[in-house]
Amino acid sequence: MTAKTTTAGVAYDVHGDMSETDRRDAAMKGFVREFGAIAAAHMESCVRCGMCANACHFYVATGEPAYTPINKLRPFEQAYHRHAGPFAPIYRMLGIVPSVTVEKLEEWQRLIFDACTLCGRCTLACPMGIDIAELIKEARHGMYKAGLIPERLQLMDRTTKAWGSPATPAEDFADIINEAGEEFGVTMNVDLPKADYLVTVAPAELSEHTKALADVAKIMNRMGLSWTYHSEGFEASNIGYLNGDTELQEKMTRRIIDTAIKIGAKTLVLPECGHAYGAARWEAARWYGGDIPVRVIHMTEFLQEAVNSGKIKLNKIDATASFHDPCQLVRRGGVTKAPRDVLGKLGVTVKELQNHGSLGVCCGGGGGVVSNVRADPIRFKAFELKRREVEDAGADRFVTACGQCRITLTLGAKHFNWNKKVESLLELVADNLAD
Amino acid sequence: MDLLDFARGPALYFALAVFALGTLWRLLGILLLPWGLIRSPAREGSPSPFSSALKGIVVKLWPHKEFMAGGFFTFINGYIFHLGLAIVVFLFVPHILFIKNLFGISWPGLPSNVIYAVGVITAVSLIAAIANRMTSPVLRLISRVDDYISWVMTFLPVLTGLLAVSHLGARYETLIALHILSVAAFFVWFPFGKLMHAFLFVFSRAMTGVRFGHRGAQL
Amino acid sequence: MSDRQTVGDILAQRGVSRRAILKYAAWLASAMALPPSASKAIAQSLAAARRQSVVWLSFQECTGCTESLTRSFSPSLEEMIFNLISLDYHETLMAVSGHAAEEARLKAMEENKGKYVVVVDGSVPLKDDGVYSANAGKTNLQTLQETAKDALAIISVGTCAAYGGIPGARPNPTGAVSVGEIIKDKPVINIPGCPPIAEAIAGTVAYLVTFGKVPDLDHLGRPKAFFGDTIHDRCYRRPFYDKGLFAKSFDDEGARNGWCLYEVGCKGPVTYNACATLKWNGGVSFPIQSGHGCIGCSEPHFWDKGSFYQPLSTAMPGMGAGIAAGAAAGVALGAGAAWLARRRQVAYSQQTSKKEGA
Repeated sequence: MTAKTTTAGVAYDVHGDMSETDRRDAAMKGFVREFGAIAAAHMESCVRCGMCANACHFYVATGEPAYTPINKLRPFEQAYHRHAGPFAPIYRMLGIVPSVTVEKLEEWQRLIFDACTLCGRCTLACPMGIDIAELIKEARHGMYKAGLIPERLQLMDRTTKAWGSPATPAEDFADIINEAGEEFGVTMNVDLPKADYLVTVAPAELSEHTKALADVAKIMNRMGLSWTYHSEGFEASNIGYLNGDTELQEKMTRRIIDTAIKIGAKTLVLPECGHAYGAARWEAARWYGGDIPVRVIHMTEFLQEAVNSGKIKLNKIDATASFHDPCQLVRRGGVTKAPRDVLGKLGVTVKELQNHGSLGVCCGGGGGVVSNVRADPIRFKAFELKRREVEDAGADRFVTACGQCRITLTLGAKHFNWNKKVESLLELVADNLAD
Repeated sequence: MDLLDFARGPALYFALAVFALGTLWRLLGILLLPWGLIRSPAREGSPSPFSSALKGIVVKLWPHKEFMAGGFFTFINGYIFHLGLAIVVFLFVPHILFIKNLFGISWPGLPSNVIYAVGVITAVSLIAAIANRMTSPVLRLISRVDDYISWVMTFLPVLTGLLAVSHLGARYETLIALHILSVAAFFVWFPFGKLMHAFLFVFSRAMTGVRFGHRGAQL
Repeated sequence: MSDRQTVGDILAQRGVSRRAILKYAAWLASAMALPPSASKAIAQSLAAARRQSVVWLSFQECTGCTESLTRSFSPSLEEMIFNLISLDYHETLMAVSGHAAEEARLKAMEENKGKYVVVVDGSVPLKDDGVYSANAGKTNLQTLQETAKDALAIISVGTCAAYGGIPGARPNPTGAVSVGEIIKDKPVINIPGCPPIAEAIAGTVAYLVTFGKVPDLDHLGRPKAFFGDTIHDRCYRRPFYDKGLFAKSFDDEGARNGWCLYEVGCKGPVTYNACATLKWNGGVSFPIQSGHGCIGCSEPHFWDKGSFYQPLSTAMPGMGAGIAAGAAAGVALGAGAAWLARRRQVAYSQQTSKKEGA
């Protein structure tokens, strides 16, 4: 890895040993492979109205025009017009659309990775219905191929390839689970040969939030379910989904799906992680290459089923709470009602944030941004938007259902010495199980 | 052959042929690319892809109130000139006759005086749009040559139309010829620039509508 | 009838009152948009003017213009006009024929060298050395050039003489052209129409006689006094156009109500003529008043501008094939572009996986 800056002073990272031409060609080819009919229709439909700017927390927080979502797609769009669009042969012949330069790709690394959380709020603002977030995710595929991704995302990529998780080697997984079981006094199931539920985890749960591992177990046990964690397929956060490494995305998808099939699980439960939901619930079939014989649900959906079925009873908390809607779960996942149902069963009165549900403002750390230290300054600026909304709502507690959001918001709170705890919905349920 | 004959004949003839060629070229060039439809199972109880597509097309007619703060002008002004253009183009009797001549269908028009008034409002709105584009930092950054050409191609027919009905600047048959020529230029440019969104929005919105409907997410 | 007599003398002999001359002068002044004070001057100079020698040449024409001039006048005006001029040669109207007729023409030209006016109706065929129309052993082209040589001015009466008219309509088998396309060194006044309005002819001649000069002409050589406004602008049905009330066919409710005829093909908006103000048959009516749209007969090539019943705003006929060809080419190009892009994508996928595999 080499950290560099462009002549304009924009920081970027470069990986791998490639000539500039090879790097550019790799990006181009990566880009061009993405243009199916849907991406193409979306590339073609923009009228440059600028409405997407109003949706982006980074633009709103900084007022920097470069953060206008559609602007983040410039090199991707250029590749489209030069190599894949209906007029590509004409554009090439007449030189109307020039080749993307490697300098441009370097400059755009900041916009494609640092300044986009893939939260998709722009998609809701676009009057043409362009799914900008999806396009940026696709643009990352080419950037990865060209070795032009931020250093931290590359590091996580390498670790995940080596360990099967960015947090821990697979060999240590069972130990971590068992330690958490002992620490929190819960019976753990790991590597059972057969189970109805395969429970997966997110990296933060293997380090900072180990209580979550125990919380799931506590609820599963209380419900008397046949469930297990499994060393062969435990990591649900899919780094490939974020950093553009499609091979890794496929590998990580296969690992958990195959494990679920192997142990005969009917349901694969994803942890409190937004991107895990996007990767496993909505994209798994694409990377798996066909139908998936397992039901994939998010922890929040699992909790909703649990409380609605009456298999667990909850103590009432007499409190108000605001819920931070994780983008991949709510806006791009459609799980809007489930967390509110669960909060309702906990006796919590939800005081909605000004922007909530599918229009909630992003925590500012998704899409790998929280791991990318280079993005800290704008991430903190975006955090202030959230903080203001939380303060305006004036609820007692602040809850979310995504570990990544929780880390981002907690880091923000710490940075600004803001005295508000960001709580996990799972933890709230586990702590309030009634006898 | 005078200018009006040229405009009504070869110029329009050429423009409509280019329009048909370019539009189909562009649409098929997009829609015949791979669709990549391997999808994970839909959310239980999610609407059919067809109704999701329709919903996507309809829902996107109106922005969420959350985006009004920064996008109010764009939204209001956009609506004004789109409606204005629609009224002038489709409800002015000479235009209806033009369409009837081409496609054999017609409908009642509005009084010409109403059309003139709407035309003036549309022209003002278009000028406001370009002024906004040239002054807003975001729009300046994201605008392409296409945006300015498309604006000119849209504005010229409105301008020449207004001049023709008010007999300003030249003889009526010259103005009407220029009007028809400007419309011909509009048709020629249409498939190659962003004016094409008049067709593409259906596909673009429908595709996202289906993607979101499949997930049970709100667009 | 001596040529030394003035118009006034002759009119007096014929019992035309001075009052009638004043009345005509007032009409002419108003028609030609001259100040009211001009009418007295016109009356005086008209009375004092010598009769204008006129040679009338008929080429490829239908005699409709002459019919219009001679038949539709109210008697007093007809008198007036024929008293203004000495019509020295007119094939249709003159009594003599053959060599005598030719001699009359040559005599008039000789006696009034540089002062006579040539009126032409009909277009001039040029194809095949102009054999398609000839008289007295001369092609129309020869006759025109010979007669125009010493003329004061030429008045092209009717759309054929002014712009080629019906003989010049596609495919123009005789190679018919207008007078103005041949005569470049003399003033040519066009009074188009099929036929032209008699008052416009008479008024122009009267102006020539009175002032001895050519009136203000527009870019198509027409006197602005009669061709300055469109039919549409002066049409009594114009308010219906503005209100959006249109007849959809010739016997519907709208037609019976006298609504605008735009939708049934009226070319009034692009036709410059005085029909809506002067009207025809001594001001009785004009086509639109009689329920038929203007066919634009005083405009160049009106015969070649599509159907008289096709609305003005529509495209000219014959567009289908080109659009269909464009559409077919578009389908081919679109499919081709998508095929190329797909091929590129497949090639890139294979290259990348090979590299990664290696």
